[in-house]
Amino acid sequence: MMELLTMEFPLGREIMTSVRLATGGICALAGFGLDAAEDCKVCVTEGLLLLLGRGCERAKVSFTGGEKLLVALTGEGSAPSDRSVEEEISIALLSALVDDLEIKKEENGARITFGFSAL
Amino acid sequence: MDEKELFEQYRRTRDPALRNEIVERNLYIAAMLAKKFVGRGVEYDDLYQIASLALVKGVDRFDPGRDAKFSTFITPTITGEIKNYFRDRSRLIHLPRRVSELRLEIKKTADKLLSETGKSPTPAELAAALGVTEEEVVSAIEAGAVVSLDRPAEEDGGSYYDVLPARDDAFERLERRDAVQAALKCLNERELEIVSCRYGEELSQTETAKRLNVSQMYVSRMERKILEKLRENLRKSMAD
Repeated sequence: MMELLTMEFPLGREIMTSVRLATGGICALAGFGLDAAEDCKVCVTEGLLLLLGRGCERAKVSFTGGEKLLVALTGEGSAPSDRSVEEEISIALLSALVDDLEIKKEENGARITFGFSAL
Repeated sequence: MDEKELFEQYRRTRDPALRNEIVERNLYIAAMLAKKFVGRGVEYDDLYQIASLALVKGVDRFDPGRDAKFSTFITPTITGEIKNYFRDRSRLIHLPRRVSELRLEIKKTADKLLSETGKSPTPAELAAALGVTEEEVVSAIEAGAVVSLDRPAEEDGGSYYDVLPARDDAFERLERRDAVQAALKCLNERELEIVSCRYGEELSQTETAKRLNVSQMYVSRMERKILEKLRENLRKSMAD
């Protein structure tokens, strides 16, 4: 396991472009093809939007390399899940694209983890 | 009627009107998912169409007695169809052209904004002016990083210029132009207009649609048809 990158930032829609570009860089480092890298960017964005929808104000994203790329998204300052259709669709989308999706509520926030492989 | 009742009744009756109602109620899922895959070289309208078709097919497969909720069931189906489309058709055909088109537009708009405001525009300002996302602007700029032809390409000091094959073969160019001119004769007036906009003026599909007062989807469909017609014609002329 090798930590590749960790980023912390105030969570808002305006930061998504920077996060997606950084994710693209990490995917290149992990040797992913264009399609896999684009899918990974969709998943990271979707996870952050989920945290944003739950009221998180800050987020931490970390990428760890190994057999597959492990992504952990931690949000701070959250409200509980609103169980909206949007949230259900986001979770279903993530489940369709990633491995081992876990969404956990934490004391003051939530944590989303998943693995991503180029296959 | 709620979703479950609607599906149960549709499974019993197979009434197309019920299927249409289910599809219409859930089209927003197709729209939501299509938006998430925008920016990869395929127009939103095309993605929306693929997602909508997957939705229609999914309605017939959904079992309200066994599967949980339709939205949870249909999301992976639509996502899979969109991914298949990307894998099979889109990247090699659309991405380079689209990115290069966007780069040209960025350059023109940046110059225009600079002369108007006296300062270099930000990606957000360019995105607003061009009607695209900020990310598309940043990616297009990033995609076009240029390399000097004089940069050393080999250990012995040879440059890229030395190792690149000559592209400007006048005879080949003449032959190609003749072949294209002959092939273009198989197109009707409308098709020629589209070719002229897309490949002469290098307008995007959306710009072409606006110019001809038709939808972007129509231009997309016509373009595929035209290219197939030209290919067939060129194939025939080569065989002759």
